[in-house]
Amino acid sequence: MFEAMTDVVPSFFAWLNQGPLTLTIFLHTIIILPMFWIYKQEKARLESES
Amino acid sequence: MAKKSVWSDNRFWQRSAAWVTGFASILLIWLTFDTSVQIAMGTDADLQNGVTKRVPGPTVINYKITYEMSTARGHEVPVIGEKELFFGRDDYSEEEAGALLHLGKLGSQTKNCMNCHTLLGNGAYYAPDLTKAWLDPAWGPEGSMQAMTGKETKEEAMAEFLQHPSTYPTHARMMPNLGITAEEAKGLVAFLKHMSSIDTNGFPRNFGKIKGAVHGK
Repeated sequence: MFEAMTDVVPSFFAWLNQGPLTLTIFLHTIIILPMFWIYKQEKARLESES
Repeated sequence: MAKKSVWSDNRFWQRSAAWVTGFASILLIWLTFDTSVQIAMGTDADLQNGVTKRVPGPTVINYKITYEMSTARGHEVPVIGEKELFFGRDDYSEEEAGALLHLGKLGSQTKNCMNCHTLLGNGAYYAPDLTKAWLDPAWGPEGSMQAMTGKETKEEAMAEFLQHPSTYPTHARMMPNLGITAEEAKGLVAFLKHMSSIDTNGFPRNFGKIKGAVHGK
């Protein structure tokens, strides 16, 4: 699941490239979670307009 | 009046797209700078103090380079070892070694090595990949290439071959004579030796399968 850091120099991008899970968690955190927030804001806006 | 869905609302998609595009731009700019630092060339002091750099300093030509399997990383890595004579010397200064590598780099560009060979992933596969050519056992003391040129050392054998490639029947696709001078050949061999010491994350993948390439196995 989580692999040991084996890159020459440990860095954020080395961590991102360790395995499929680190990348998946990262992309969901930065893309999907903010989209929930945007969704809720837009839903509230549409409801207040109607 | 029908209730309007968020999914069919333009603003939701606009804001999502703006967020993803903006964040990806920042990430890629950061990646560019992170990479620049990681591929920056090391110095002579790094080599003397055993600091591992992806791209060692030019004075790496003063050292023996081997290729070893790293179980932690899952591929082979170049290992810089003891001092080793290169054209009879092991005391090239940073300036001398840098000038030699520069000559070799310019030589590889003017003679267009990449038209047939591959260097660090760039070039063609008409002729052998040169990324780890220095570590190829064929050029070593028991190798067929060194024996064919009749030279005592790897670097002299390579330089001899580069100056008279069409004299040696090596490959079904023989290398043409490119008019490489003795000085240019020396630079090119230094360039190849330095290139073999670059940590390329195990690239090219099939190099380690050459008999004798990795730790004499």
